[in-house]
Amino acid sequence: MTQNNLSPKLYPTFREGSIILAVALFIAVVFNLIRPAGINMFGFSSAALIKEQQAKIPEISLWEAYSLYLKNKVIFIDARDPLSFAYGHITGAINIYPDDAAFYSAKLRIKADQGFIFITYCDGPQCPLSKETAHVLLLRGIPNVKILVNGWILWLKAGYPIAKGKK
Amino acid sequence: MKLRNFPRPFIPLFALICRLTLAIIFFYAGVEKILHPQEFAVAIYNYQLLPDCVINLLAIFLPWLEVLIAASLVIGINTRGVSLLSALLFLIFATALTINLVRGLDISCGCFGASSGNISWFYLARDLSLFCMSVFVLIYDRGWRYFFA
Repeated sequence: MTQNNLSPKLYPTFREGSIILAVALFIAVVFNLIRPAGINMFGFSSAALIKEQQAKIPEISLWEAYSLYLKNKVIFIDARDPLSFAYGHITGAINIYPDDAAFYSAKLRIKADQGFIFITYCDGPQCPLSKETAHVLLLRGIPNVKILVNGWILWLKAGYPIAKGKK
Repeated sequence: MKLRNFPRPFIPLFALICRLTLAIIFFYAGVEKILHPQEFAVAIYNYQLLPDCVINLLAIFLPWLEVLIAASLVIGINTRGVSLLSALLFLIFATALTINLVRGLDISCGCFGASSGNISWFYLARDLSLFCMSVFVLIYDRGWRYFFA
């Protein structure tokens, strides 16, 4: 008797839940397929993740970075906050804070295919932002990412070209 | 459009408040994860509960489920089914949290995307409160029509 009373309420409840599950799955899969920053649906590899986390991101010296800059083979990535970036940055650099790095992966991958090297920098020898941005980019499969430790100060002291403004 | 039955009786009004609160929480959590699926996948992996092959799929699917639950809760369609799903989700989250708190793992909660804090008993209490709110909505929610004629 109890089951007879409950089933007319329970059945529509389960049906409603199943509809939402199915719609969510459909939208999620389609959205992931069409978005540039989509991920491989079954491609998670814990082994690769551990390897990437243990991998040390190579550092580059100021002189090497400047030579590449002169040859126009490098894209500088300023990992600092937008205000510091607007106050001054390496000429031609783009501002990618670690939290936003994933959004740029599709654009940067195209540049990587064209042979560009990416150099992240921030301000101060202990600044973690350049490492964090570089790490996210590596996780996203961007090759040739290097870090210019204490990059902003070194670049500024050397008197190399800088720019101001948001772009 | 007229307001009726407002603010009494208390229980349907409280269910409405719970429903909208849950919707805001789900929406915020879902959008944060949709923006950063890779980071959310890593957060799921850190719980050490699922095999690799389902982690990315869950990282893609779960945020959209949360956003759809939020939308349904706000609009008031399929409320029973959605609040049941919501209760089940919070129960699953609470179980996963408990297992890792007992294990002593110091990992990111991943509750609101990559920038969430590390897991703690507070998060478990929060999940259980939200579970109770979902059950309350499941049982007592009367929809928008109850308040608007």
